[in-house]
Amino acid sequence: MTAAPQSTGRELTGPPTDGISNLRFSNHSDNLLVSSWDKSVRLYDASANALRGEFMHGGAVLDCCFHDDSSGFTACADHTVRRLVFNYGREDILGRHDAPVRCVEYSYATGQVITGSWDKTLKCWDPRGASGQERSLIGTYTQPERVYSLSLVGNRLVVATAGRHVNVYDLRNMSQPEQRRESSLKYQTRCVRCYPNGTGYALSSVEGRVAMEFFDLSEAGQSKNYGTFATGGCDGYVNVWDGNNKKRLYQYPKYPTSIAALSFSRDGRLLAVASSYTYEEGDKPHEPDAIFVRSVNEVEVKPKPKVLPNPGT
Amino acid sequence: MSNGQSDPLLQVETTCGSLLYELQIIWDEVGEPDAERDRMLLELEQECLEVYRRKVDQANRCRAQIRQAIADSEAELAAICSAMGERPVHIRQSDQNPGSLKEELRAILPQIEEMRKRRCDRKNQFVEVLEQIQKLKNELSDSSGYISTTLVVDEFDLSLRKLEELQRELQALQKEKSERLKQVLDYLNTLNSLCLVLGMDFKQTVSEVHPSLGDPEGSKNISHDTIEQLAAAIQGLREIKIQRMQRLQDLAMSLLQLWNLMDTPIEEQQVFQKVTCNVAASENEIMEPNMLSVDIITFVETEVSRLEELKTSKMKELVLKKKLELEDICRKTHLIPETDSSLDIAIEAIESGAVDATCVLEQIELQIAKVKEEAFSRKDILDKVEKWMVACEEESWLEEYNRDENRYNAGRGAHLTLKRAEKARALVNKLPAIVDALASKTSSWENERGIEFTYDGVRLLSMLDEYNILRQEKEQERKRQRDQKKLQGQLLAEQEALYGSKPSPMKNQSAKKGPRLSCGGASNRRLSLGGAILQTPKPDMLHPPKSTPNTRHGKKNDRLSHDPTRDDGFQALSSGRRGLDIAGLPLKPHSFNPPNSRELESPMMRKPFSPISSTDSSKSNATNMLEDLNRKHNEMLQKTLTNNKTPFTTPSKTISTLDEENRTPKTMAIPLPSTPSTVTVPMLTATTPAPSAPESLEEIEYSFEERRAGFVVPKEHLKTVIQI
Repeated sequence: MTAAPQSTGRELTGPPTDGISNLRFSNHSDNLLVSSWDKSVRLYDASANALRGEFMHGGAVLDCCFHDDSSGFTACADHTVRRLVFNYGREDILGRHDAPVRCVEYSYATGQVITGSWDKTLKCWDPRGASGQERSLIGTYTQPERVYSLSLVGNRLVVATAGRHVNVYDLRNMSQPEQRRESSLKYQTRCVRCYPNGTGYALSSVEGRVAMEFFDLSEAGQSKNYGTFATGGCDGYVNVWDGNNKKRLYQYPKYPTSIAALSFSRDGRLLAVASSYTYEEGDKPHEPDAIFVRSVNEVEVKPKPKVLPNPGT
Repeated sequence: MSNGQSDPLLQVETTCGSLLYELQIIWDEVGEPDAERDRMLLELEQECLEVYRRKVDQANRCRAQIRQAIADSEAELAAICSAMGERPVHIRQSDQNPGSLKEELRAILPQIEEMRKRRCDRKNQFVEVLEQIQKLKNELSDSSGYISTTLVVDEFDLSLRKLEELQRELQALQKEKSERLKQVLDYLNTLNSLCLVLGMDFKQTVSEVHPSLGDPEGSKNISHDTIEQLAAAIQGLREIKIQRMQRLQDLAMSLLQLWNLMDTPIEEQQVFQKVTCNVAASENEIMEPNMLSVDIITFVETEVSRLEELKTSKMKELVLKKKLELEDICRKTHLIPETDSSLDIAIEAIESGAVDATCVLEQIELQIAKVKEEAFSRKDILDKVEKWMVACEEESWLEEYNRDENRYNAGRGAHLTLKRAEKARALVNKLPAIVDALASKTSSWENERGIEFTYDGVRLLSMLDEYNILRQEKEQERKRQRDQKKLQGQLLAEQEALYGSKPSPMKNQSAKKGPRLSCGGASNRRLSLGGAILQTPKPDMLHPPKSTPNTRHGKKNDRLSHDPTRDDGFQALSSGRRGLDIAGLPLKPHSFNPPNSRELESPMMRKPFSPISSTDSSKSNATNMLEDLNRKHNEMLQKTLTNNKTPFTTPSKTISTLDEENRTPKTMAIPLPSTPSTVTVPMLTATTPAPSAPESLEEIEYSFEERRAGFVVPKEHLKTVIQI
């Protein structure tokens, strides 16, 4: 794509003007949805490097996700959860929390939008409900602490909150958590993401460690194939890991500033990297916010063949 | 003569000559005069001249006619040529040797003939094209019955140019026709797919628009009118489709909710999989034939109403079941179900149909969750209460036993009783420590939560207080009794010295039982009642527990090395760990435990302490209530006591029973196996730090985002969470 092989990938033109809170690839195309502290949500065509749409909100946008290729949801610091329709530039308010909404996910399994907020609740929404909270709100579920991160796989929902709590829900029965756990890491939880195969989740802390957890404890001992995953840190590095062998596979060249968010495209050929200062050291001068889209070589993410001590077995 | 025959003129001349000669002869014979003869000859000459002239005129006229014919022909030829847009082929070439007029005419006639034929052909072509144009125009025009004016071919313009023009027009019309046809077919396709999805008869729908459209082979009407009607039909069907889709999706949603609510088996759900998978589909995503037919919708509707009915019948059942569950949990944990009466009312309301059962169910479930959470937090205190009660029971037995004058008489089973007494004494020695530990634990629990710890509706602390007061009273009484006995002894000795007889001291003792009874707290009476019935149903035994063995105070220090110390030691440990833990999680040291046991760290434990509001709830109220409650719960209490007897004597069992409840409270797991001798001194001091420790640690952690957004956790918010 670019001349130097050791490059950081192609930088998208027209990045947000303030910190990037999240970015996500669509499941249907190479469209990239980006939410930012500059109160905007932007839709890019990553392969064409073109800005396809922009929405302005009443507050910083803390998270975003796709509904289908033509619409998405956002979590806003002005306490609102919104639905965006890209083609018409339309936006509806799906509902409100009592505090800034930190994260939003859309469940294809149940057709619900799930939001987590600093008001210590989780709310489920029906996006088809006509505008008006009373029509779209499905349920409110109190959490032990402020919700920091959410992740979904199948019918499982993992909620990470302040105070290192981790609640695992079954979306079909939200009345109480299926499991209540504590983070196995010592420090504040930063992010949680489920394995695509649905056996567990990876959890990261502000200290920079990542723990791999399993829903079913008996699976923890077995060596299951859960593939590789990428992590990005405030050191500006993106690493690709082989979870099976607990080895680092690849480290990409350093990005200008902290990695605020990462997203693989639907086929895994593209990796979007938000290089954007995340205010870990407070308000201070920092590099401009940027989005890089790099193509992923197979070498970088393919686990190296395991050297077996006895090839016969 | 033969010559004359070959030439009629010659013959005529000879005949004329012979006739003249005959006339000469006749005249000679008659003897006509010469004058007469000349006159007659002149007359003859004149007559001949006349005849010639007539013939010449005739010939002249004939020539003029031929000329006219030629001119006419040429004019026609020219006209035809000009009409056909061709250059006049043949204009008389006068300079060329013309030949006779007749030749000329003969030459021109075939040309005319030829041109006429060509013109006719051309005309036919025109007619053909015009006919087609007319036909197309008719087809394209809106009114199908309209018949055009008769075909008019402009005779004077049959040029190729004109023909081409017409053909272009024809092509344009044909193109338009094909476009329209395509549009119609498109519409028909759309209509067909809509009809398919909606389960409607396509042919009938189409025939209603225009009869010609229903025929798959025949030509279709493609007028504007028809197209508009088709578009309208499509619009109509699409509206119906959206309507039905919304209806179906609504139904599907209720289906899903009902399934979810009633745990409908997958097989039953499978039938409607097709429907429910479209719950979030948009209008153009639903393409499956008959997906939105009336049949399917009614099918789903009946299922929903079936489930709805099932639900209402089941719901009551469920509500009652849940209510039982709630009551059961409450009973097990000695909690008073708060909204018992309101629940009853709610159930009645369900029966009368005034309230939605789901609301009530949700409410109950919420209560169950709440109660479970509370029960869990009460667990270890309850365990201690049980121990305490068992100890009290033993105490009362021991008292009774001590009063038995014949207790040392060797009889059957006496050695067993002795052993029991030995054990009971040891236990009774521990009692104050148990009570103290229980009290401190309870008060720390209360501080932590800001609510009172109640036991069957009575505040546990007041129960303990009463017990302590009672114990002190008994102690004093005992002391007084002892003094009195001593005094009596002296008196008796004096009397004996005087009279030599000795009254029984027992009389006085029994008389003193009265006042003790009246001052006994209700809670204690309940305890003693339970204890008494458990043992032997002797009527005397109702009172004994109120009297406490006098040895208790003396050995207090030794006793303290038991239960309370263990707990306190543990608390010290955990609070110490607390200091290390930045997240302020008190029970962190047990992170090696499997995660399912982490429930222990329920949010309750980590919340800051809200000020104790009114811990001194009026004792009188409590005791008043107690009287009633006691009666109710006596029976139940006996049961609990019998159950709890075993865990107390065999501590290992407690653990197992706790495990069954899936709680595995670490606080219990550690103290039980530990030997009392190892952990010793710091008990009463260590219990108190609990309230202060978390307070200092309650510095709230914030994420980067929260700091950046300037988000501060509101104070009231904390409180509400605690009160859940």
